[in-house]
Amino acid sequence: MPLALLRRTLVAGCLLAAGPLAAQSWPMPEWNSQSSAVTPALQALEAYAFPARDDATRAGVRSDALLVIKDGVIVYERYAAPTTAQTPHLTWSISKSLFASVLGVAYGEGRFKLDDAVAKHYPPFSAHPDVKLGHLLNWASGLDWQEDYEYAPLKSSVVAMLYTRGRGDMAAFTAEHALGAIPGTRFRYSSGDSNVLGASLKSMVGEQAYANYPWSALFEPLGITSAVWERDASGTFVASSYAYLNARDLGRVGLLMQRDGRWGERQLLPPSWVAFNRTPFANYRPDPQKPGEAVPGGQWWLNATLEGSARPWPDVPDDAFAALGHWGQGLYVLPTQKLVVVRYADDRDGSYSHNELLKRVLNAFGEQP
Amino acid sequence: MIRRRPFLSAFLLLLVGLALLAWSNRVHLASFPGIVGGYSAKEYCSCRYVSGNPAEYCAGYVKLYLPLSAFHDDAERKRVTARGLGSSQTAAWLDARQGCQLQSQADPL
Repeated sequence: MPLALLRRTLVAGCLLAAGPLAAQSWPMPEWNSQSSAVTPALQALEAYAFPARDDATRAGVRSDALLVIKDGVIVYERYAAPTTAQTPHLTWSISKSLFASVLGVAYGEGRFKLDDAVAKHYPPFSAHPDVKLGHLLNWASGLDWQEDYEYAPLKSSVVAMLYTRGRGDMAAFTAEHALGAIPGTRFRYSSGDSNVLGASLKSMVGEQAYANYPWSALFEPLGITSAVWERDASGTFVASSYAYLNARDLGRVGLLMQRDGRWGERQLLPPSWVAFNRTPFANYRPDPQKPGEAVPGGQWWLNATLEGSARPWPDVPDDAFAALGHWGQGLYVLPTQKLVVVRYADDRDGSYSHNELLKRVLNAFGEQP
Repeated sequence: MIRRRPFLSAFLLLLVGLALLAWSNRVHLASFPGIVGGYSAKEYCSCRYVSGNPAEYCAGYVKLYLPLSAFHDDAERKRVTARGLGSSQTAAWLDARQGCQLQSQADPL
């Protein structure tokens, strides 16, 4: 080969290698799909996720949707009736993580700081002047909140908030709770904390922009068209519980997080914001009674290894993180494997295991790209 | 009194205890009956008109251990009313982005 041609070939090769943007697959506008060969590992995944369904007893693992995205390409997709690829499925508490991504855009626009007092943006919190936005994001407001609804429906704060006393104004209902701990010192999972974030966005972006903000800030840039976000009677987004998206659209948020807040050539979320989402709350202490519980970050859940305890999902890499919701909803991100997994479900007992599902996903799709 | 009527005394004490317990939980107790109707109306409305699932599926989806005494799905206006524990609640579909919301006044059943 003549020297000049060799040099040109080398230069072209270097340019290709240096241009990951060009080589990366993005759902712009639609997802690329690639069908996977039916391997024993894939059959094992399906056997776990989609066993025969019994709607009379509602027992066992009951997946409504399972979507696996590998480096921006759909490699597996299955739905169980009546859920389809078009169904905007209830995400329950995945909403909290979605709202954190909405807030991340506002953060990038300089509309708030993590150590701002909540009261600066949401005046009813003047009763709790020491609670900061960062505390809410870590579910560490210190408010005496009762999230449990399976065993204590009478005193459950979340049931009262969603369905009875609190439903007119969920953030105000939360603000009426007394402090039970010094803000920022104790993790206590609280849908109330998330809805105060929902109300705080109002003054950050202004009443006018608020109603459209999740769309203008997050959904439209990502090409999400199926989103519904319900509000309470005061007009505040129910950031804790009531966002609906189809599985493919939820996968877009997963890909955004897998790629550190970047969407195509646009840095939609500041990398520092995603890093905060993925940082364990410093004062979190795992409960030895509940070894499978993921570690709280900034409105996201982490498979982090903390000192003195095993990682929550032992068969899953410790950089994995997730948005998780009631009855088995899950958006899992495995950055090293470049995997995003969306699972919608109607699990009514506790038999579903995040670790087991992800272990089987990794067996089927986990090889390094 | 306590020695002569031990059972009656214990019963009265239990009553006083229950009354105190009810009083200290009066806020929770007062709102409790609204849970069944509120949950059923809201989650049925969203299942049906936000997610677009079939009516029969949504009825099974919101089924609780406590039965509803009345239920009405006004499909034309997309308003769902459910009655349980003596309390009626209505959820209404607002628009394509806002989905369903519980209303402060229940529709007459």
